[in-house]
Amino acid sequence: MIIKWLRIDSRLIHGQVANNWVNHVGAGTIIAANDGAAKDDLRKTLLLQVAPGRTKSYVMTIDKTARCYKNPSYKDLDVLLVVETPKDVLRLMDQGVEVTQVNVGGITFKEGMTLISEAVSVSPEDVEAFKELNKRGVKLILQQLPNTQASDFMNRLKSKNLI
Amino acid sequence: MVAIVVATHGNLSEALIGTAKMIFGTMEHIAEVTFKPGEGIENLLDKYQSASDELGDDQVLFLVDLFGGSPYNAASRFVARKEGMDVVTGVNLPMLIEVLGKRLAGGSLEELVQTARTAGADGIKSFKEVFSHQKIANSAIEDEGDELG
Repeated sequence: MIIKWLRIDSRLIHGQVANNWVNHVGAGTIIAANDGAAKDDLRKTLLLQVAPGRTKSYVMTIDKTARCYKNPSYKDLDVLLVVETPKDVLRLMDQGVEVTQVNVGGITFKEGMTLISEAVSVSPEDVEAFKELNKRGVKLILQQLPNTQASDFMNRLKSKNLI
Repeated sequence: MVAIVVATHGNLSEALIGTAKMIFGTMEHIAEVTFKPGEGIENLLDKYQSASDELGDDQVLFLVDLFGGSPYNAASRFVARKEGMDVVTGVNLPMLIEVLGKRLAGGSLEELVQTARTAGADGIKSFKEVFSHQKIANSAIEDEGDELG
């Protein structure tokens, strides 16, 4: 499996934005790796309903995604991988998924989180996970849409005095 | 590049472009034209002329709201004797976003017109209709193994 792009986005697959990224990175397959969604039959069905028509789309647990990643029959598959949190990226890496770069796209604000850009908020737990990703040499990019500006995510955390 | 002019009754055109930015990101060579109570065809023709001058493109696609409404009537008069311009009616968000995408991919005026027509119509769906044709996920089985699905 070739991960063309790994994106953190709480909305996982949402119509047009997924479409823009798929076209931009040239992936034929979208995998939303998320335990909550994969185990909720209705949510899974509805996520697949709005997946771009030209693309093969899957909603799977983190564990199953890691198993498929290691399945040699998918070695040439170009994938756009979407997860909900930085912790899920760590879980994938811990199960052998190679990650060099992560696009931090959208994390919805909830109580106790700090807003760090128009579309991204982080919890203290997220900050710890991002620090760990950074320590492992993963490049973290803050970017909402393919044609909006990209910036360094760790610098943004620094500028918000979160690290 | 083909310039895009979104022209509607009221502020819809401004709002449509503002909203499209949320999904599409930054965009250039696009202008909105509003049509307010008390204005007439001549006002619209003036606005089309200045929008088209400011954009500076040889080709312009007008996306207007209602067939037969003033933004349409003025736009049809504006483009009728010009090469490289056309008008598509029924502008909506799916249409605008798809046209912007097609334009980014280098689409010609004719291709943008075609995209506008299909995307404007295909964006209209009934949830129950789509849902009734969907296979419902079964996580108890689908979480097994190492094959996609």
